[in-house]
Amino acid sequence: MSNGKVNLEGVMLFEQPFARVPFENYRKVFRTSQRVIERELTAVQASSNDLAKRAKLGSPDPEEAVKSIDAMIGRVEGLKRKLSDLQDTVGSSTQDVMRERLQHLMSIEEVYSSKDGDYAQWEEIRLDRWLVDWVLRHGKERSARKIAQERDIERLVDIELFMDIRRIEDALRSRSCAEALAWCSENKSALRKLKSTLEFDLRLQEYIELARTRKTREAIAYSRKHLVSWQDTHITQIQQASALLAFPPTTNCNPYKRLYDPTRWSNLILSFRLAIFNLNTLPSEPLLHLALYGGLSSLKLPTCYDHVTKNVDCPVCDPWLGRLAEEVPFSHHVNSTIVCRMSGRIMDEDNPPMAFPNGYVYSREALEDMATWNDGKVKCPRSGEECDFSKLRKVYIS
Amino acid sequence: MDATLKELVKLEQLTSAHPPINKGKAPAISDSLDSLLATLHDQKQRIQEGRSYEYELHGLAKTIELRKKEIDDRQKEVYNSLARYGKALDKRFPNALPTYEPLFASEEAEAALERVVAMHFLRTGRFSTAETFIEEFGIDIPSHLQSQFIDLYRILTALRNQDIAPALEWATRNRSFLQSRSSPLEFYLHRSEYIRLLLSSPPDLQRAISYANKHLSLFFTTHAPELRRLMAALMFVPRERMQKSPYEDLTLPAVHQELEPMFATEFSASLGMSKQAPLRVVADIGGGGALARIEKGRKIMRERRSEWSQTDELPIEVPLPPENRYHSIFACPVSKDQSTEQNPPMMMACGHVVSKDSLQKLSKAKGIVKCPYCPVESTLNTALRVYF
Repeated sequence: MSNGKVNLEGVMLFEQPFARVPFENYRKVFRTSQRVIERELTAVQASSNDLAKRAKLGSPDPEEAVKSIDAMIGRVEGLKRKLSDLQDTVGSSTQDVMRERLQHLMSIEEVYSSKDGDYAQWEEIRLDRWLVDWVLRHGKERSARKIAQERDIERLVDIELFMDIRRIEDALRSRSCAEALAWCSENKSALRKLKSTLEFDLRLQEYIELARTRKTREAIAYSRKHLVSWQDTHITQIQQASALLAFPPTTNCNPYKRLYDPTRWSNLILSFRLAIFNLNTLPSEPLLHLALYGGLSSLKLPTCYDHVTKNVDCPVCDPWLGRLAEEVPFSHHVNSTIVCRMSGRIMDEDNPPMAFPNGYVYSREALEDMATWNDGKVKCPRSGEECDFSKLRKVYIS
Repeated sequence: MDATLKELVKLEQLTSAHPPINKGKAPAISDSLDSLLATLHDQKQRIQEGRSYEYELHGLAKTIELRKKEIDDRQKEVYNSLARYGKALDKRFPNALPTYEPLFASEEAEAALERVVAMHFLRTGRFSTAETFIEEFGIDIPSHLQSQFIDLYRILTALRNQDIAPALEWATRNRSFLQSRSSPLEFYLHRSEYIRLLLSSPPDLQRAISYANKHLSLFFTTHAPELRRLMAALMFVPRERMQKSPYEDLTLPAVHQELEPMFATEFSASLGMSKQAPLRVVADIGGGGALARIEKGRKIMRERRSEWSQTDELPIEVPLPPENRYHSIFACPVSKDQSTEQNPPMMMACGHVVSKDSLQKLSKAKGIVKCPYCPVESTLNTALRVYF
C-alpha cells in the first residue's frame, strides 16, 4: 500500500458478494426454466402416452385425437414462449450484470499504481456501492435509488435483492411464514449445502401458532406433514413440539414458555437474513462497516483524542468519525514517524527534525523557510518561543 | 478473473436466444421445441387426413421422449456450465469476508455514521442525493452548513468555467486567514487571470500589463522570483512561441486546474474541515488492504494460539502512505514502547531520543547516561523533553 502499488488481494477481499449476487440471481432464472420445462413436457408426455394407449385399445376417435394433439401443441408453444420471455427479460439482463461486474473488477487489475486517477475513480464508485449497501440494510430504498441513479451504477448495486429481503421480512413481521417458506423451497439445495435449519424453524413456528390457538388436531396433522421429516436432526425439538400441545400459551413452564414467546418471530427475521446473506456471500455486517473498521483502526492513535495534538486533516480527529473510532482498536506501530506540525511532511534524513531550546520539534525545511522571511529568526507556533535558527538543535530519531 | 469471464462466455453461448451464438453439444432448446412442434403438426394432419396408424401414435410418444431427453441434456449442459462458473468464482475469491460482532450498533454510533454520510454527500457536491438522504433518515444538518457547501460548489463551477471572480471575492474576504496559512491562493488566482490575458489570441498585452500593474504588484514581497518570471514571459507571446520557450510550464492547463483543489482545501480549512473528504480517506484505507492485513494478523495470532495481549490495539502494523500520516508517533528505540504523557520522549545531549523510562534504566551512578547509539555520555538532568 505504502509503495503505491494497488493491494489487489486486499481490494478483492470485499468483492466476493459483488460477483456472487448476480450469479445467484442467474441460478434462480435457471431453476425457473427447469421447473417450467419439467412441468410442461411431463404433461405433454402424459397426454401422448395416453393417446398411444387408447390407440392400442382400438382406433381412437380422430376428433378427440386432434384435440389432444392441439392441446400438446398449445403447451409446447406456450413453453417456447415462456422460455424465450424468461431469457429476454431476466436471463440476458442478469448475464449482462454478471459480465459488467466482472469487467468492473478486471479494470482494477490493470491499474498499476494506487496514485492512478482511474483507481481513485474506482474507489469513489466503490464507496458509493458500499453506501447503497448500507442504506439498503437500513431499509431506505429512496436514498439507495437516488445514489445509484445519480452515479449511474444501478447494475453495480443490489437494490432488487434487498427489496426481496424486505418483502419477506415484512411478511415475517406481520407473522406470516409463507413468503419465507417459498424462498426456502426455491433455494432448497443451496440451503441444504449451507446446513441451514431456517425451514425447520419456520415450520416449527407455524406449528406453534396452531398450538397457540389450540387447534390441536391441525397441529398434529401439520407436524406429521412438515416436522417429522426432520427427525434425524431435530428429534428433541419435535418431541418438545409434541408436548407443547399439553401446555396452554399462558404456561410458565419452560421450554414451553419459550416456544410460545413472540420474540421468536424477531429471531426468525434474523435467521432469515443470515441465510439469504450467507447464500449470497454477503457479510452480516454492512460492507461500509468493515471498511471503516479497517480504515479507522489503521489510523487511530491516542493523539487523535488529545485536543493539543488533534490534526484537522486526520479523519479520526473528526468528532463524528472519532466517535465511531471509539469502537475499534488503536493502530500498532513498531517504528517512529515524526510528522512536522508546520508543513505536514514526514521528517527523515533529508529533512531532519530540529528542536527549539524548549523542546518543540519541527522539520528543517519548514524552519528554514520561516527563517528566510524573518531575518534568520524562527518562532514556535505552539509555544510562541522565538530564537535564532542557529540556536536550534538537530534531533536524532533512530 | 479471466477464468470466470471465460466461463461466462460459455454460459452466454449456451443460453443465447440467437442461433449463431448458441453453441452446445445438444441442440438448442428452441430447436428441439420447433422440431417437436413440427412432429405434432405433422401428426395432426395425418389424423385429419385419416392416414394415422396406431404405431405412429406410439412413435409420437417415442419422439416426444427423445426431444425431452435432448432438452434435458441441454439443460444439464447449462447446469454444468453454471457449476463451473460457481467454482471459478470460489477460486477467484478464496477468502470470505470476516464476520464481526455488530459494529457501530449503538444509537449514538448510528447517528454519528448517518451524519458522516450526510456530510459526505454535501462535501462531494451531491446536493440532491444529500437532500433525499437527509430527509429519508431524518437527520438534522444545520442549514448554514448546507449553504456553505452549495457556495463552495458554485465557486468551483465558476473556476472550472474560467471565471475567477467568485473565488477571488472569497479570497479577498478571507485574506488574513489565508495569510496565516501562508497560502498562495490569492496570488495564484491573479496569476491564472494574467496568463489567460497573456495567451488569449490575439494576445492582449496592454490588458495583461495593466492587470499585473493593478493586482500582481501587491504580491511582490512574498512572490518576487515568480513575479519576475511572469513578467518576463511577456517576451514569448503568443502561445505557440511560449510553448517552445523556458516558460512552457505557464502554458500548461495545470496552472488553472490546480486552483480547484487548492480552493477547496482552503475553503474547507476555513470551516475547520479536512483537506479530503474524511469518509473517503477511511474507506479507501480500509478497502485498500487494511482489513485484509488485520485479518491475516489475527489468523496468525489464532494459529499460534497466542491471544494478543493488548486487545485494544491491532496485532500488526498497517503501513500507510505518507499523505495519511497525520500524527507523530514516537516508538522508543530501546524499549519499543510508544511514548505517552507519563513516558515521554527525552533528548539526550547528543541529540538522540529515547523514552523517559528507558533513560532511567540506562542511567548509572550520579545520573550519568551513556547513549546507546553514540559514544557521548551525558547526565539525566540535561535530557530535554521533546514535543513532536
